[in-house]
Amino acid sequence: MADRGQYLFAVARGLDPQRLEGVAGLRKAEIQVLEHRGLQAVTCGVDLDEFGEEALRRNLESLPWLEEVARAHDDVVQATALGATTAPMRLVTICSDEASVRARLDEWYDGLQTALDRVEGCHEWSVKAFAALAPESGDEPTSRATSGAAYLARKRAQADERRAAADDAARVADVVHEELGAHTRATRRLAPQDPRLAGYPGTMILNGAYLVHDDDQDAFRSAAEDLARRYPDAGIDVRGPWPPYSFATLDRE
Amino acid sequence: MSESPNAGVTSRPYSAPIAQSDRPHPANLADILERVLDKGIIIAGDIRVNLLDIELLTIRIRLLVVSVDKALEMGIDWWRNDPMLSTTAQGLVEENRELRERLEELEEGSGSSSKDGSSG
Repeated sequence: MADRGQYLFAVARGLDPQRLEGVAGLRKAEIQVLEHRGLQAVTCGVDLDEFGEEALRRNLESLPWLEEVARAHDDVVQATALGATTAPMRLVTICSDEASVRARLDEWYDGLQTALDRVEGCHEWSVKAFAALAPESGDEPTSRATSGAAYLARKRAQADERRAAADDAARVADVVHEELGAHTRATRRLAPQDPRLAGYPGTMILNGAYLVHDDDQDAFRSAAEDLARRYPDAGIDVRGPWPPYSFATLDRE
Repeated sequence: MSESPNAGVTSRPYSAPIAQSDRPHPANLADILERVLDKGIIIAGDIRVNLLDIELLTIRIRLLVVSVDKALEMGIDWWRNDPMLSTTAQGLVEENRELRERLEELEEGSGSSSKDGSSG
């Protein structure tokens, strides 16, 4: 028999464990909700042949493995956050057994309660904006410059256009972020994602995370719709509600 | 309750077109990896794996999730020599080709030494 560990997806408060019925853990393992001093640890058993230290070092180098586990982790956290105040854990947080999970909840009790207080009644929303694609002009063979000087002038003009477009894009990103912030409890600007993994065309100029109270959700969404109307070229992309990944954090003080 | 907690259990494509932006779940891999690897609570379990030691995560994923400028700040620039990944390199190759063609045209004497190009 292979050794088993206890994989920790999230710590929640006010979760009805029945809400997680039918949600599969990793490798179809059953989800277990451990109650401890008013906190609930959402866990499942994992095989240490796959999730032990040696195995993880190898498996985490495989993008298909990583994607599968990341999506399964996210699915469980999403299902938890639908019905409870939720603090998601970092991927591959694994204890040896149930007693060890409880010991972690004791150790981090105050920090976890503070993190859950901060996100209570709230969800995370993601809003992204993009730089308008620069029109490709002057590169067709028919408009080919006929001298070196004209060629260089054209290149310079194109660079100037690109700079001006970048300045405009940065201004739009600031306006979008600031106006959305009025309807939030907290905001974070994350690093722009690269299009090769994100699957978006164009340059991401804003990758914003917004902690929105459920009561403010409608106001937040209509503010986003209004911005999308005013800046149609920015391809404003709104996603949510998500678990508060970017806001349920431990402060070590 | 009309929401189905099972809605997210089915597999999703790597990337979703912008038209699907009303999906509640982070549909694209970058969103998910950004959240589960970079955000969320860090509590050291009994299984100790430093995510920063994982080459895929520190270099390839980070490059894909983080902007190129940020990667440069971090001193990561190996992709410059990786033609599969380097759009900058492809841009330079393209520009070199253009310049070579232009030079050949000039050397053939078709554009000769005239400096006042009749720009269209």
